[in-house]
This record gives sequence, C-alpha cells and structure tokens, in this order.
Amino acid sequence: MRRRSGISRAAVGALIVVVLLILVGAYLAMRPSPAPTTAPPATTTGAPPTSPPAPKYADTIIIGVTDKVSDLDPAMAYDFYTWEVFNNIGEGPFKYKPGTTELIPGIIESYEVQEGGKVYILHLRQNLKFADGTPCTAQTLKWSIDRVARIQGDPAWFVLDFVNYTEVVDDYTLKIVLQQPVAFFPAVLAVPTYFPIPPDKYPADQVSSDNTAGSVGPYKIVKWVRDQELVLEANPYYYGEPPKTKRIIVRFYKDATSLRMALEAGEIDIAWRTLNPTDIQDLRGKPGIKIYENPGSFIRYIVINTNIPPFDNKLVRQALAAALNRQAICDTVFMGTTEPLYSLVPNGMWSHVDAFKEKYGDHNIELARQLLQQAGYSEENKLVVDLWYTTTHYGDTEADVAALIKAAWEETGMIQVNVHSAEWSTYLDLTRQGQLPVTLYGWYPDYIDPDNFLYPFLHTGSNRWLGEPYSNPDLDALLEQAQVELDQNVRAQLYQQIQQILAEDAPIIPIFQGKLVLAAKDNVQGIVLDPVMLLRYYLLVKLAEG
Amino acid sequence: MASLRAYVLTRILLTIPMIFILLTVVFLVMRVLPGNPVIAMVGMKASEEQIRQLMHQLGLDKPLWRQYLDYLSRVLRGDLGNSMIWGRRPVIDEIMDHFPATIELTISGFAVSVLLGIVTGTAAGLRRGTGLDLAMRVYSIVVYALFIPWLGMMLQYVFGVKLGWFPVGGRIGPMMEPEHVTGLYVLDSILTLNWGSLASALRYLTLPSLTLGVVLSGVYTRLVRTSLSEVLEQDFIRAARSRGVSERVVLFRHALKNAFIPILTMMGLQFALLLAGAVLTETTFSWPGMGTFLMERIIYRDFTTVQGTIVFYALFVALVSLVVDLIYAYIDPRIRY
Repeated sequence: MRRRSGISRAAVGALIVVVLLILVGAYLAMRPSPAPTTAPPATTTGAPPTSPPAPKYADTIIIGVTDKVSDLDPAMAYDFYTWEVFNNIGEGPFKYKPGTTELIPGIIESYEVQEGGKVYILHLRQNLKFADGTPCTAQTLKWSIDRVARIQGDPAWFVLDFVNYTEVVDDYTLKIVLQQPVAFFPAVLAVPTYFPIPPDKYPADQVSSDNTAGSVGPYKIVKWVRDQELVLEANPYYYGEPPKTKRIIVRFYKDATSLRMALEAGEIDIAWRTLNPTDIQDLRGKPGIKIYENPGSFIRYIVINTNIPPFDNKLVRQALAAALNRQAICDTVFMGTTEPLYSLVPNGMWSHVDAFKEKYGDHNIELARQLLQQAGYSEENKLVVDLWYTTTHYGDTEADVAALIKAAWEETGMIQVNVHSAEWSTYLDLTRQGQLPVTLYGWYPDYIDPDNFLYPFLHTGSNRWLGEPYSNPDLDALLEQAQVELDQNVRAQLYQQIQQILAEDAPIIPIFQGKLVLAAKDNVQGIVLDPVMLLRYYLLVKLAEG
Repeated sequence: MASLRAYVLTRILLTIPMIFILLTVVFLVMRVLPGNPVIAMVGMKASEEQIRQLMHQLGLDKPLWRQYLDYLSRVLRGDLGNSMIWGRRPVIDEIMDHFPATIELTISGFAVSVLLGIVTGTAAGLRRGTGLDLAMRVYSIVVYALFIPWLGMMLQYVFGVKLGWFPVGGRIGPMMEPEHVTGLYVLDSILTLNWGSLASALRYLTLPSLTLGVVLSGVYTRLVRTSLSEVLEQDFIRAARSRGVSERVVLFRHALKNAFIPILTMMGLQFALLLAGAVLTETTFSWPGMGTFLMERIIYRDFTTVQGTIVFYALFVALVSLVVDLIYAYIDPRIRY
C-alpha cells in the first residue's frame, strides 16, 4: 500500500512540473510582448503620417534573408547581399534607375568624359551629407576611393585594375584618370567600392567590418547585431526623396525553410534571398502571400577544360552542347524559377544573341550523335565524361542539375558520364589547377555590362580561375577592342561576334539564367525587381493593418 | 584536500598536451585539404597578382613549418590571431559573438533533456514490467532516433506556423536585445531587469531547446530506469523501507541520489554531444551560434578561425569534464581524489 501511494505521489509531482511548464510556456506565448513579431511596434502611431488622408502606411517593414552581411566596409565587402545593404545606405557616382539597367547619376550632378574615355570629371551634388550631418565633398570621395586601393581588400581590383589616379579639382569636382579608356566605367562607378564613407568614422588603412557609420544613402544603420538583425532608419540628411518606410528591419535566417515558415507565421513581411524552389511552389496561391518574379542576371554554365583530352576536340564539346536539356533542368529542378540560357550574356541584356540555340537547338540528340560519330565515338566506344559539381556553394539542387545533365548526355547512347562532387574550396582550387575536365559554375555580375559576362571567361589570362581552359587570340583581340570602344552600337556588334565564336568553340556551355523570386505579404507594395538584383528598401511600403 | 588540489592541477596540466596535439592536427588537416581562404573568397574574380598579394598579407605564402611556428608562438602568448576571411576580425571576437548563443541553447537543451529523462526514467524504473515502463522505453528509443532538423521543423510548423505560439527562428524579437552583460540573453534580461526582453528571449528559446532536449532525453530515460531499478533492489533500500522510512524519502533521498552517479557521468559525456547536436538545432532555428559559424568557416578554409574555435571548444569541454569530476566527489563520498 505504502509503496503504491509513494509512486503515485512521484507521478503527481512529475505531472505538476509538466503542467507548470506548459502553463508558463503558454503564458509567455499568449502574453502581448512589447514588440510583437506579427505587428511591428508603433504601426500607426508615432511618426506623422507620410501621405495625408488616404492609405495609412506602416512605419516598419521586416525583411528576412538567408544571406549574411560580410563587412560593412566598402573596401572589403564583395558579395551581393552586403552590396544590397550598401545600396540602401549609400550611393555612388552612378546608380541604376529602379526597374531597368539604365545608369543614372547618383551623388553627382553631371560628369564629363575626356581624352577618349580616359578621364572622368565628376561634378558632385553640393548638398551631400552623411547620416551624422557631416558634409561629403570631392575630398571625401577621393579619400574613400584611395582607401580601397590602399587596403587592397577583396574588391580592390575595381579600383586597381582601372584607375591610374584621382585628383580633387575643387570641393565638388573630382577627376579620375584611368589607365586606359574603359567603355563601361560608369557601371564600375556604381559598385559600392566607389561609395563615399565618412573619414572620421572609418580607419584610414584598416578594414572596419562592423562599422555602422554608413554613407550618404536613403537609410542609416541604427542597430547591427551580426547574423541576427540589421535595423535601418531613414537618413534625415539624404539629398533625394526620403524613403517611404521609416524603418527597415532585416532578420537573418540560416536556412530557406525557416525563412519561408517565418513568412507564413507572420514574423516577417518579405522573404527575400533565397527561397527554395519547392517552398516557392508551396507558397504560390497561399492566401495573404504574393510571389514576385523577375529575370535576374545570375547565370549558370558548364566549363570544359579544353586542355584535357578528349575535350581538346571541338566536336566533343559541340556534341555536349547539343545534347544538353536546359528546359528539363529549369522545369524539374527549379520548377520554373530559372529560364534556359543560350549565351553567356543574359537574356534581355543588350547585345545578347541565342547563339547556342541557333547553332545546336536544345536537347538535339540527333546532332549530338552525328558530332560524336565524327569525333570517332560509337555505342561501343563511348565518350567518358567526368562531370564535377559542388553543393556547398550552389545548394542542394546542384546534385539534381548534375543528374539531369548526365541523363541528357547519356541519352545519346554514346556518352558515359561519371558524376563527382567536391567541397567549394577544394572544387575551386582543383579547377584553378586545371585538374577538373567538366565543371558546373555560376556567375553573379560585378557590373551590368556584357564585358563582365564574357571577358573573365574567355580572355586569355583572365580565365586563370577556370584553370585557363581556353585561349583564342582572335577572341582576345575582339574582347580588348570592345572594352575600349565607346560607341555602344559598335560594341554590341563586337559582342555578338564574340558570342558566335563562343558557340562555335563551346569551351563554356550556358545552362540557365536565374530568376529573382521574392515572397511577401500582400499588403506590401513597391517591390521592384530587376536584373541589377538589388531590392530597394526605400521604395517599399506596407499598408497598415487594421 | 591536498590530494584534491594535486588532482585538479594534474588535470589542468594534462590539458596542455591535449590542446597541443589537437592544434597540430587541426593545423595540418586544414592545410592538407585543397583550397585556401583567398581562393575560396575571391578565387573566381581576382587576378593572379591580387591573389598572390592577399596570400602574402595573410602570411600564406610562407613555408608551412614557418606558418606553424608563428601560429604556435602567437597562441602561447594567448593570441588566437585574426580571421582570414571577410573583415579579418580577431578570432576571439568572433567566438565571443557566437559562443553565448550556443551556451544558452546548450544549457536550456541540457536542462530539458535531464528533466524529461529523469521524469520518464523514474516512472519506468519504479514500474518495471508495466505498460508505463514499456511506453517509456519506446519513448526513449523513438526520441533517440529522431533527426533533429525533422523534429525542429515539425515543432516550427505546429507551434510556429499553425498555432503561432512560438517564433520559428531567431534568438530574440526585433529590436529586443537586452543590454550586453554576459551575452546570454535570458541572464542579461534578468540582470538588467528587462522583462520584455526576457519574455521574448524565452519565447525564442522554447522550440530550439525543446528540440534538442527531447532528442537527447532518451539516453537519460534508459539510464535512470536501469540505474534506479538496480538501486531499488539493494539491501540498504530494503533496510530503509523496513525501518519504516516513507516511500518518498526512500525514493528521493536514498534511491535517486545513489542512482545519480552514472547519470552524472553521462551528463559530462553528453555535454560534448550537446554541443554537436546544437549545430543541427542552430541551423534549423536560425540560432546565431557557434555550430553554424564553424561549419561556414570550414567551408571557406578560414584556417585561424577554425583552429581557434576548436581549441576554445576543447578547453571548454575539458573544463566541463573537470567540473563534473569534482561534483562526483561531492555527491559520492566513496570517491576521493
């Protein structure tokens, strides 16, 4: 008897503990917390309404991303997401008109090009101020650019490769002298590496990774907790139109599924880079959620090392280009969030031609078989291809991409594909050493110009990172000519010619072009996605709830 | 007392060769792998010349033995060096940024697992052979076999998306961080009397610690059950009962305390496992801790950060196991050092 009662008391005790825990949990969950995640603080009160009577806008928008901010320092930052943050807190001499790839003056009022494109005279706006109210002058811009060259961080080549020297003409005029004429230099002047930063806040020759001093853009940083949260507020000294939403909070997630669930749970207003194709598919048609899509200028392609036999044989490379099934990859793996690409220059960019489609079609097994036969292969004597991929950089979908490439190539009956994978750093290093015959790579542009999609891949020496897989002196000459030519029509013709040679020689086979996909609550407006691939926070508005 | 001091001293001294061996192994393994931080970060875009320059800046162009000696001499001076990627921040700063988050998760996950394990294990141990016992044994096997990201996602979906009770990811609500004291948000909120932050921190902590705690509780369930039923069959328990000592006193004062020795050993061992389990939990719940941080740095071959972090971890685990050993002596009078 005694024993029994003792046991039940223990059980009752345990039960009480469990119930208490649940109660405490439920209490904390139900309790209205001061900053509820579903409705941001001070939704309608506080700041005076921006637009008088009509729609009421919330003054905070929360954006979720799986990206990270690397360095809040233009001399070291060299990744797309950090650049996006810089494009919201700063501005360079040039910027892109939202929704287009058209360059417009940013912090400059006007500019002059002299000496056949070798000298740029920038006339700065006279009312530029940093977030703390200190003025930004030509001296500041010169200091910022020189600092990038001095620190020699990751993006230093944007300055070192092009600029000879900079010179202050007067307080609002800066002269930039280039090493040689560069046709696309205004596009280079739009990258955050050329953004002015306050000299009293940034050390002159050291990287300052967690610096929140910001620049001269629409927003300023008010809070920064690495890998957790970035809070931006409107910069009262911004020269242009003030941002439509006063405060932007960026929350950092570690994986795409949590990001998607955070949107569904109402913890964030916008799920930005980068959702999984399957999650996007799931979110489509969910009430209260809207999906935005736009072609990006992010491309994926197959690199063939032409120094490794049998890939030194053009016929072999052409056969691989012909058999590839791009549509299957876009539909099956990416569920329509990518589109087939038939050149290295993205769809929609000036000078783009569907060179590979014109030459080989898509998934043209018949042609591939003919080419393989000409190269001496048959069903008995198969071409063996070692195809390499990496999931550490391009995500889990990469294994499926490789599997579909293998399937399409093997459909010829004359190719045997062995698929291998390696970790990112290993992959890059082995590619660089010229040890991997066929690899999958991707490219995010540095500046929006065909040059950036061709020169680094095809110009001898510049494609050292791919193990110098290909070299063609005629192509080199064309690429160099297109860099210095100032007439865009002539440049377009040169790039078209280059794309034809690329398709003929097929050292690199384009696969697809990524779309930008964003999911947001349906009360968020002002989302502009374009090939520049930056989300402009200052254009966003959210209709106040209730 | 003197022998205890000698014991502690010996343990600390033994840590030194352990760290040295670990450091050497990590140093070599990282460098034997192809790739280096410069290639991983700008390998695609920078020119040959710039890559050479960056390698020079980081001292990666020196012979390996030289790099090793330089590194050792710095570590001996207590300097873990600077990270090799991104802003090249001091490694110790990186660790201090991420470690408190992991500790907070680990401690709460640990508490949940021990609590669940003791409750379920005691229930099973006291009712051996009954349906309850069977249920608890099944529980222990099932939770032990659960995959952390799967359980995490289920909890996120049910309690986050469907019920909206708890947030699905992150460590604290927007703009809710308490003032920095220790870096542990729960503790800092209490220290600074910031109840709003405390509520937010606890809400964000609930699902991750439940995930980690439930999965690791299975081991304790089995251990408590076995250990408790063994103790309950011993003579001193029978003697206590025959003396008319109340069942509650028998259970808590005599049986559980004695059954606790193997459990405590397991706690010490589990702690290292907890740190490993935290990696998966951190990723699932976007918890900004050490696990995901270390994984990322291994991928980018951030040599110094990986070395420093592993040394730090090793020191921490050594410290925890030393503390556990000292607690033995306190609990079990038979153990003397």
